Amino acid sequence: MDQRGVGMSSDFSLFERHLDALYRSALRLTRKPEDAEDLVQETYLRAYRYRNRFKPGTNEKAWLFTIMTNVFRNRLRQRPAPEDPIDQPGADFSIYEQMRRDGMPVHLMSPEEIIVDRGFGGEVKRALEELPVPMRMVVVLVDVEDFSYKEVASILGIKIGTVMSRLHRGRQALQKKLWEYSGRPKAPSLAVGAR
Amino acid sequence: MRRLSTYIDRELSEAEVRKVKAHLDDCPPCEQVFDFQAEMKRLVRKECCTDDAPASLREWVRQLATEKPKPVQ
Repeated sequence: MDQRGVGMSSDFSLFERHLDALYRSALRLTRKPEDAEDLVQETYLRAYRYRNRFKPGTNEKAWLFTIMTNVFRNRLRQRPAPEDPIDQPGADFSIYEQMRRDGMPVHLMSPEEIIVDRGFGGEVKRALEELPVPMRMVVVLVDVEDFSYKEVASILGIKIGTVMSRLHRGRQALQKKLWEYSGRPKAPSLAVGAR
Repeated sequence: MRRLSTYIDRELSEAEVRKVKAHLDDCPPCEQVFDFQAEMKRLVRKECCTDDAPASLREWVRQLATEKPKPVQ
């Protein structure tokens, strides 16, 4: 079977196995199912068009995600997206630390108890989708899609240090949002949030 | 804290992993922080892996993959 041209269509069908990963990531990025579908279709069309540039045996998933994130970022430049919430610089935040400071007996609680019983679980997608895009992309690629730092650096065309920094800040920002959704007073103020 | 994240992501060198593990074994408070952060990462993954692509989109991708190449003139 020829590696180029005529024979490639049967090889291309292998790319379908990454569809769910691409779609759910597209959802996190675009926040709307119709836009996510659109993004995924555009990604596959380009992958198909440039399928001969893909070197068999190399990282398919990373290649597809590179295409998708590029398409997404180019679109952001063309069509101004609704404003992302401004990233507030602040002290490191961790739900665990916050609870401990509040006097909760966290040392007696399992992580599952902390998360489930306090209702942090149900709002993860919402929290993630409210992160600024650069952070959101890295959290999705590492925490959901399990890419290594090096792969993420390559996919997004950024330095590994930048990957780590965005990941770290993204995870903290995520925890901060989950904390705020659950109605806890925002640290360090004592005002009770409406719920 | 940053190193703990990197440890959870399995991005530390072997030597660093040994150091972190040794510390966690000796330090229950740190181990608890580790357990919590590791669980948070699992939670994010679990929550976000529920959106499978719609059947129509999957069908579209399959069509694309099985398209007959244009005949050579």
